[in-house]
Amino acid sequence: MNLKKLLTLGLSICTASLLFAQQTTKITVSGVVKDDDNGETLIGASIYEAASGNGATTNEYGFYSLTLPMGNDSVTLEYSYVGFQPKTLRILPKKDVTLNVRLGTGIELQEVVVKADAFRESIRSTEMSVEEISTRETKVIPALLGETDILRVIQLKPGMPSASEGNTGLYVRGGGGDQNLIVLDEAVVYNASHLFGFFSTFNTDAVKDLKLYKGGFPAQYGGRLSSVIDVRMKDGNSQRFAGTGGIGLISSRLTLEGPIEKDKSSFIVSGRRTYADLITRQVNKANEDDPDYNPIPSYYFYDLNTKVNFQLSGKDRLYLSGYFGRDVFSFEGDFFNFNFSWGNKTGTARWNHVFSPKLFHNLTFTYSDYDYNIETKLTGFSFKVGSNVQDANLKSDFYYGLNDNHILRFGGNVTHHSFGVGRLKASSDDGEVSFSGGNDFTGYSLGAYVADEMSFGEHWKINAGLRLSGFTNNAFYVGVEPRVAALYVVNPDLSLKASYARMYQYQHLVSTSGISLPTDIWYPTTKLIKPQNADQVAIGVEKILSDKYLITNEYYVKKLRNQVDFVDGAQLFANDNLENEFAIGKGYGYGMELGIEKQEGDLKGWIAYTLSLTKRGDFDPIDDTKVYAGEGKYFYPRYDRRHNLAVVLMYELSRRVTISGTAVYGSGDRTWLPVGRFAFQDVPGANFQPIVPVYGERNAFRLPYFFRSDLGIVYKFFPKWGESDLTLSVFNLTNRRNAFFLYLEPQYAEDVDPLEDPLAIPTGVAAKQVSLFPIIGSLTWNFKF
Amino acid sequence: MIVYKRLINNYLKLKIAMKSFFNLNKIKDMKSLAWPTFAFLLFTFSFQSCGNLEKEIDLDLPEYQPRYVVECYLEPGQPFSLLLTRSAPYFEPFPTDLLNFVENILVDSAEVTITHNGVDYVLANEPTINPFTFKLNNYTNPALVPTEYDNDFSLKITTPDGKTITATTRLLPVVPIDSIVVEFDEEQDTLARCLTYISDDPATVDFYRRMLHHNSLLDSIPNQDFTTNDDFVDDRTIVFGTSYEFKEGDTIYNTMFHIDRAYFDFWESTFNAITSNGNPFGQPSSIISNLEGDAGGDWDFYGAEL
Repeated sequence: MNLKKLLTLGLSICTASLLFAQQTTKITVSGVVKDDDNGETLIGASIYEAASGNGATTNEYGFYSLTLPMGNDSVTLEYSYVGFQPKTLRILPKKDVTLNVRLGTGIELQEVVVKADAFRESIRSTEMSVEEISTRETKVIPALLGETDILRVIQLKPGMPSASEGNTGLYVRGGGGDQNLIVLDEAVVYNASHLFGFFSTFNTDAVKDLKLYKGGFPAQYGGRLSSVIDVRMKDGNSQRFAGTGGIGLISSRLTLEGPIEKDKSSFIVSGRRTYADLITRQVNKANEDDPDYNPIPSYYFYDLNTKVNFQLSGKDRLYLSGYFGRDVFSFEGDFFNFNFSWGNKTGTARWNHVFSPKLFHNLTFTYSDYDYNIETKLTGFSFKVGSNVQDANLKSDFYYGLNDNHILRFGGNVTHHSFGVGRLKASSDDGEVSFSGGNDFTGYSLGAYVADEMSFGEHWKINAGLRLSGFTNNAFYVGVEPRVAALYVVNPDLSLKASYARMYQYQHLVSTSGISLPTDIWYPTTKLIKPQNADQVAIGVEKILSDKYLITNEYYVKKLRNQVDFVDGAQLFANDNLENEFAIGKGYGYGMELGIEKQEGDLKGWIAYTLSLTKRGDFDPIDDTKVYAGEGKYFYPRYDRRHNLAVVLMYELSRRVTISGTAVYGSGDRTWLPVGRFAFQDVPGANFQPIVPVYGERNAFRLPYFFRSDLGIVYKFFPKWGESDLTLSVFNLTNRRNAFFLYLEPQYAEDVDPLEDPLAIPTGVAAKQVSLFPIIGSLTWNFKF
Repeated sequence: MIVYKRLINNYLKLKIAMKSFFNLNKIKDMKSLAWPTFAFLLFTFSFQSCGNLEKEIDLDLPEYQPRYVVECYLEPGQPFSLLLTRSAPYFEPFPTDLLNFVENILVDSAEVTITHNGVDYVLANEPTINPFTFKLNNYTNPALVPTEYDNDFSLKITTPDGKTITATTRLLPVVPIDSIVVEFDEEQDTLARCLTYISDDPATVDFYRRMLHHNSLLDSIPNQDFTTNDDFVDDRTIVFGTSYEFKEGDTIYNTMFHIDRAYFDFWESTFNAITSNGNPFGQPSSIISNLEGDAGGDWDFYGAEL
């Protein structure tokens, strides 16, 4: 059987040195850890046995496998998870046991014990450069227009210097905005933003949790250089029928979930839609007869998440999940119709199988689709432009808890990619002009990995892994990606960590602007455009202070190769030879991150400080007739942010009232400004241009610093049917004007109209700063039953 | 393996259609259409909107050394003329009127020579202004540019401070307009569009600049003005169109320039620099010039048919 072959192969690669003889003196405890309230599996719950010092954490499916020495004395197992009441169980370690454990929250939790267990687990883990966010935190933290957003919350963590005005783009440790692998239930989400990045595609009600890797990447992940953002959808309540929802300023949400068969299967359906367009349509209708009235364009977005899961047997579980989200922007004028929509679709089918208490397997099929379409109609003429990217991915992942010294993970995947770059169709109504165009690419990417988490006594752990990746298009590339992480536990409250990871990226984002646009195109690796790759080394220390605070301090150095940028004046639109617009260069970054976190008690929160430096340069155009300004030189990218400080506090005043506050300070983004100007007369008949800007050094100018503070108050009600709350968010409490961008505008005397007078001379040039958000208050009503 | 489909008509054909049928500026505006919309959404639904989101700020830009700017266009049968100016720091105050403005940027006392076929045409520092086009040149020679396509024209400028600027170019033959068709819209026959046909030489890579003026050639604000190359041409014929916008009795001036790559790059980069300034969706760029030496600007010719 193929599976067996694979298994044998995986084992033979990495377990040659292992002593199987030990097995007879060991037993394995395995099972699934769940939330008692709704039956959701808990990811990253900790299981610890004090006597032997052995511990394990649940994997992405809530499964754990813990190996213990065989014995006649009973041992105590501690199960714990952040925010849940820990549970202790006693077992007699005589033979393998399966223990499926449920942890409860309960109101009594607030007074519960010292709860540094989650932190202890972090101290004991080889994983570093990891940030996790739960939806519970996300719901309390104040949000723009009341739209809670897990991607915005992650931006408040150390090493995420990206919280600039109106941008959910993530620039992790000097990486570009396209170097983040965002997966939702293991399916890649190509464009995780709505409305140009102001909101993310993740509906908080449908998401279980989010885990972000900034470095020390586990071998099972590949395909992007700078981060992995693993988002898990809720499985659905397997205990009872339940609903959550909310009515907010710009959108409404409703989530329904419940058991299909209690304890065995469940479903969840979650939807969200904005409704500004319903109002603007009415306004347009009311003004229909006014000839001077300019109709307001209509805009909305929606998300739909669905998931079902079935417990097929004690050892098999099947999950099916899907996501559909879309932004639609349209304008209907007398002579001009414009329709612009974009969105993601993802689908995931997963089959978990427990071969034995030690061996867990997950077989996954995922499908991802991102596309945008622009349709324009003008009197007598119409055109359509669009792009899309589609992935079909099959992957197999094994988790093998061989013994208490070795935990193996191995597997592989194959993905079929298809890219439709810049499809278009244009025609005039009379057929005089009619044409279509576009480039189609297909490619396969392959990956195979093996990683062994090895324990050497009480103090040392090493996770050594290797990933092989490949990509075929009109050329074949192979990437060898070693991944190593080492842990030295000084004492239960202090550990030292180090990691090295090499990453390869085979898809590049075609975008010239600093913000996320739906028209950004994904472009594959080709003969001329080689895969990007990066090396990152990180060292860090973690310390638990007074059993309450976790302090993490990390330092990293990162080197990036084959980075893509665009030549000056690149024609990204309507160009069937896009490759000639690329310039290939390098980059590097280094920095320090400091985090202090408190997760228990009435007052929770964290402080995150990041010091970083990022440079890119040495860019060389693929087409040597093209120009890249400052070729060869290194420069700071727009998102180079020297200092970034975020403070997040959540205070539970009473059972009813929770107050939260965030404050973010950051060095301003960089921008590229003109330093000189000249007058351009041009040929007879052409416009005279009194000001042609001459740009200076790339991104030499820094925008004013960024500062924003937000306040949130959640007031809970406990009606008979469930729970509800009113959430007040005040965004940008100090009403500070943060720069979104700068522009320089020629000023003309009052009686001069440069559009009418071809020889108009400006009186001067003014520099203007545009901000997006003043102080904005919003109220959201949420309910749960 | 790769499926690399190249469809017969590619994007550039779209580009030309978009530029000419829509008017490119409208297309550019579409990009920014989203942004006022968002602002609208924001303000309608936020409880407070405290004050203006735009404010003037002071920028401290690094020091800038002015450079020379050369504009020279050769047209067969017309006198040699050249405009030599200097650039200025971005925020330098502007003189109050056009005359002062011009005087302020003109560079006098340079030695300017254009050499062609063994003849040195020395351009004297004598400003002239064309009373019809309002175009100014500060170096001129009344000799007429010979109609000769096989040899280089070379330019040499020695500036008052002793710097040398050089460039070379060649004339390109005029590409005649084959026909101009005016068509009225079938539904509302009061408005017409104009289709302009030219023939492209498939053996050469050609660049064109197309201008269209409505009612007056002299008002200097063209209805259409863009550059394009011939990548898309598969049957020799290029058609430039307009939308239905002209009334009976209107005069339309079609101008076709047969330009070279250097001028195409210069023009595109110049307009990219102008339009990207302050556009959050745009990317700034440098000016691409064919001058050698310490200068920014352009040296070229054009062929025109009116």
